[in-house]
Amino acid sequence: MTDSIIFLVLHDALFSAIPAVGFAMVFNVPKRFLPYCALAGAMGHSTRTFLMHFNMPIEWATFAAAAVVGFVTIHFAKKHLAPPLMYAVAAIIPMVPGTYAFNTVIALIQLTAANEINPEISAHMTLNALKTVFILGALAVGLALPSLLFYRNRNIL
Amino acid sequence: MYAESQNDITRLVVQCAQLLLAYGAESELVEDISQRLGKALGLASIEISISSNSLVLTSLVHGRCITTTRRIRAHGINMMVVCELQRICLLAEKGIYGVNEVRRRLSRVEPRSYPAKAVIPMIGLSCASFCHLLGGDVMACMLTLLASTIGMSVRLFIAKHHFNLLVNFSITAFCINIVAQLGYIYPITDTPQTAMAASVLLLVPGFPLINAISDMVKGHMSVGIARWGQASLLTLASVIGITIAMQIGGIF
Repeated sequence: MTDSIIFLVLHDALFSAIPAVGFAMVFNVPKRFLPYCALAGAMGHSTRTFLMHFNMPIEWATFAAAAVVGFVTIHFAKKHLAPPLMYAVAAIIPMVPGTYAFNTVIALIQLTAANEINPEISAHMTLNALKTVFILGALAVGLALPSLLFYRNRNIL
Repeated sequence: MYAESQNDITRLVVQCAQLLLAYGAESELVEDISQRLGKALGLASIEISISSNSLVLTSLVHGRCITTTRRIRAHGINMMVVCELQRICLLAEKGIYGVNEVRRRLSRVEPRSYPAKAVIPMIGLSCASFCHLLGGDVMACMLTLLASTIGMSVRLFIAKHHFNLLVNFSITAFCINIVAQLGYIYPITDTPQTAMAASVLLLVPGFPLINAISDMVKGHMSVGIARWGQASLLTLASVIGITIAMQIGGIF
């Protein structure tokens, strides 16, 4: 049982580190910071998978994972004197609800094409839209948590 | 402090803020860096007002104000520039840099980006990992790798010719989806829908969405809403491309 959880988390960490580095390169993060982006991304996504393994809803698991990323990236930022946002954006990318966002808009276009309010498609669209908004909110607020709680009146760097 | 030097310093600060906004920093960071840079260079205070495509900045010293406005044209996201500007601010604040050093280093800031031959395979691999995380089998991952590699090449090619970003996203999504549909036509994979969902993830405007919400949470409402609108439009543009491709393939 514990063995399978450890495997699940490590497997997850490996496969979320790759997109973190890939998108860090799209955002032109300097080369020497790429390993830290990978580390933060792996920690974030595997935390979320770990929590969801114990039946936590995806929104709360995302919030906790984003808070972990927030604290870790502030630590990195202090070490290298670079803005914490730089590590955080790449680390967050594997958790962005892209599939939910696309499903929402695809359902929206299906609804337009059907020429009537189809209850099934409307329900599908509403559900996906709510998931998108709440997961994104959890990500952004979780990331901002250190500055909301501890760095209220002082600078991080 | 003489009027000329207040002019000079204000120009430096506004140039810094303009660069930060053009290369995708969030509003809180822009305000923070420009106020600290201004104070470090000897101004009494800096007030800044940011809207979706321009910025107004007022510097105050010895009861004398200078207000200046700059138009902002978004250049895409470049964290190298943001990181460099943060460095300049910190060095000025510690007293290591004076006005001349700041000016020299600001004039040397230029956006460098990774070569396409490094970015394209990495994005292909990223989307393949997304496919694996979403539960696709090996052949679905290979198909995603192929589709998103082609997609990223198309996206960079169109971006090089300065097309509108929305047009770019539509065409890219169309190309990706045409390739990803091969999974439905040839029975090589058991999970063709996963390949289709994962290969378009390279078009999700994740960074603008996160920036939008964190701007709104930190009280920069209008900028946040503008960024949210921009990100939604980009998503809509890619979905239009996807829909056309699906209708051609007969899946819809």
